[in-house]
Amino acid sequence: MPREDTSIAVVNDDRDSAAAVAGLDALDTPVERTTPWWQRFLRAWLPPIVALALIVLVWQVVWASAVLPEYQLPAPGDVAEAFGRTVVTGEIFSILWTSVSRAALGFLLALVIATPLGLVVAKVPVVRAGIGPLLTGLQSLPSVAWVPAAVLWFGLTDATVFFVVLLGSVPSIANGLVAGIDQVPPILPRAGQVLGATGYRMARHVLLPAALPGYLAGCKQGWAFSWRSLMAAEIIAAGPALGVGLGAYLKNGADVNDIVQVFAAILLILVVGIGIELLVFRPLERRVLRARGLALSV
Amino acid sequence: MTVDLTTRRPPARDTAVALSGVAKTFGTGAGAVTALHGIDLTVGDGEFVCVLGASGCGKSTLLNLLAGLDAPTSGTVAVGAPRPSFMFQEAALMPWLTALRNVELPLQLAGHGRAARRARAEELLALVRLEGLGAKRPHELSGGMRQRVSLARALAAATGLGDAPGAGGLLLMDEPFAALDAITRDVLQGELLRVWRATGTTVVFVTHDVREAVRLAERVVLLSSRPGTVVREWTVPAGGHDTEARTALHDDITGRLRQVITSHAA
Repeated sequence: MPREDTSIAVVNDDRDSAAAVAGLDALDTPVERTTPWWQRFLRAWLPPIVALALIVLVWQVVWASAVLPEYQLPAPGDVAEAFGRTVVTGEIFSILWTSVSRAALGFLLALVIATPLGLVVAKVPVVRAGIGPLLTGLQSLPSVAWVPAAVLWFGLTDATVFFVVLLGSVPSIANGLVAGIDQVPPILPRAGQVLGATGYRMARHVLLPAALPGYLAGCKQGWAFSWRSLMAAEIIAAGPALGVGLGAYLKNGADVNDIVQVFAAILLILVVGIGIELLVFRPLERRVLRARGLALSV
Repeated sequence: MTVDLTTRRPPARDTAVALSGVAKTFGTGAGAVTALHGIDLTVGDGEFVCVLGASGCGKSTLLNLLAGLDAPTSGTVAVGAPRPSFMFQEAALMPWLTALRNVELPLQLAGHGRAARRARAEELLALVRLEGLGAKRPHELSGGMRQRVSLARALAAATGLGDAPGAGGLLLMDEPFAALDAITRDVLQGELLRVWRATGTTVVFVTHDVREAVRLAERVVLLSSRPGTVVREWTVPAGGHDTEARTALHDDITGRLRQVITSHAA
């Protein structure tokens, strides 16, 4: 019977093609290589720990050789002790809180301003032609330069600090977003368009997520700039209304020629910078890149 | 027992696409380039049409006109489907979304609720034989699998939740298998035919591969180059197992295509 034959042939055909598809999929699927955690630990953490130990060792050797007087180069042990003292008295927490909360608030404010700004600069040619160069210029202008002007405008208040922080970080974040959007493969917005995305939905569902790696790099740089600007502002503009942050702590040490405190302050500033990078930005970046198959090597 | 061959082809179809006297010119004055000229083309509802042509025949321009991404310089373009959906040579999946969320995206953009669009996306992934792989990211899939996700996404865009009456939709395909290796292409052509039969979607498929056109299409339309005009149309014999007729057709079309190309040599 021809009819029955055809239906059997169709079923067999379907089963054949299902098997062919399954076989191809099995052969072609990219293989994910996973490295055990201890190997990742060795690769990611051991080198910086060894490097740090070497730096402290060199420091100790230079101090012990006494080529520099004690008031210029303190012993690593003394700095660690001063550091420990601030922890015991709890002073360190109020200092850190003052500075870090300010930097974080300033950074968040910068995000709120820079994100729409970057989007507009990237997508509206007239705006890009108009203020694109200005944004890049502002990025290369050290935001410390704004401190004197800000003190004249706002006095020794938080407004001065935030003003300087914003001018430091907004251009970086906005430029990062612009670069991120520029690097989006043109096929993605095109695909978004034929799937029905326009205007806000295009930005929300296609452009912003596609630009996320570049945007995140901009945010990272923006954080570094806002932290740097904050320290500069705190060192230059010290006043009772501003409280004692890390910058003021450093300045106080310098004012009384206490090199140990100066070193402890510098180390703390460095530790906060590295800590935020390792605890916030690195995991975020890793997640974003890994989801896109662009994982970092370590 | 007799088999009535005439019933294989539905006698009268609604029109999914109607182009009449369509021309498209880019630029003006001396530098103007006419991509398409005097195109008359009708595609029935649920029909599979391959548009074949060498480089510069305006294939992509034609698809852009059908998708509504571009407007014709003269003539009329009538498309029945509310939203023609598009498939490219690249899968063009959003790399930050899982396979399932990629298929959901057009439904999300159309404003469908989470549960409904998830169920529909899972259904479509199963249709392209990617059941259970919805959680994979595009970079974890092979090229052929990505292109199938893209097909599922295009079907989601074309047919929505698939519950509207006559929601076969219109699928525009711009050489979707050209970037794949020969084995995968062969398998995916079969898959596309299976999916097309299962969904009743209208397909306009652009290619420069005569074999592909003859294998897939019910009707092959040959375009000339610079400007693109319809040279000839062929109806492919139904049934699929009549290799002799297909070979003859393949040779016939290849011959005409060769003529079109050589006419540009001078």
